[in-house]
Amino acid sequence: MFFHMVLERNMQLHPRYFGPHLHEKLTTKLVKDVEGTCSGKHGFVVAVTKVESIGKGLIREGTGFVTFPVKYQCVVFRPFRGEILEAVVTLVNKMGFFAEAGPVNIFVSNHLIPDDMEFQSGDIPNYTTSDGSVKIQKDSEVRLKIIGVRVDAAEIFCIGTIKDDFLGRN
Amino acid sequence: MSAEEEENAAELKIGEEFLKAKCLMNCEVSLILDKKYEQLQNMSDDPLSQTSQVFEKSLQYVKRFSRYKNSETVKQVREVLSRNRLAEFELCVLGNLCPETVEEAIAMVPTIKSKGRFQDDDAIDKMLRDLSLIKNLNRYSCWVHPTFLWSLLIQ
Repeated sequence: MFFHMVLERNMQLHPRYFGPHLHEKLTTKLVKDVEGTCSGKHGFVVAVTKVESIGKGLIREGTGFVTFPVKYQCVVFRPFRGEILEAVVTLVNKMGFFAEAGPVNIFVSNHLIPDDMEFQSGDIPNYTTSDGSVKIQKDSEVRLKIIGVRVDAAEIFCIGTIKDDFLGRN
Repeated sequence: MSAEEEENAAELKIGEEFLKAKCLMNCEVSLILDKKYEQLQNMSDDPLSQTSQVFEKSLQYVKRFSRYKNSETVKQVREVLSRNRLAEFELCVLGNLCPETVEEAIAMVPTIKSKGRFQDDDAIDKMLRDLSLIKNLNRYSCWVHPTFLWSLLIQ
């Protein structure tokens, strides 16, 4: 789910940038540092929308660097366990399929795919119902429920299911 | 960690910070990211080099899964959903998935029933029908005069 939040970060700036464009330099550095990163708490930072405030800088002992506390507004994507969302299938194999929802990857194991869907290998591997009415293959859009969220160093990975009501191919 | 084990969106247990934060529907994120992309295009010749993979994947995703394309419609959807006492998170899940029946809506957002927010199923049904009306009008005409749409919805 996408959220619009206010986050805070301490930015360090080298003295060479102390001048009339200090705030602009801080903003550029913030955007470069933070956009595209991921944390376990807030999820993926998709885009910084506005720098709300830049506090007073504190000179660090021993070096000339100055630390500025910066408050900024941004769009984040954070998947939650129990959340239902739509995703695009990227890979299908006999263990299950991988799907992508924005920046996050979700794996749906074949144990959590309805029993009436069987894996069909071939040029375009897919899961199909016995009557052929529903087919899940690469680039299909599926609605799934996240049942587990794991946070790695800089990535969030999810496990999902399509075995409940109203889930699966649209 | 116990905090992560307790987390469960189906029971609206998503942490204080996220419960209070503003939740965004895919269509709203699409408008925001479009604007940002335009800004980047104005500033440099190669906007794609300035954006992270996370940004590009998110942009592709919200464009693909936006149910409503123009900003007036998006505002109306949020307005219709906000009339009911829903949490931000519930509002956005409903706006993103557009359930067609009351049963589906309860399956997508179990807390609308469990937290007793709606007096009865008819209230949920009315909300879904209003949403569906906006979606159909959005599909058949690019822009519907807001007061006309308003007069249909307040009935």
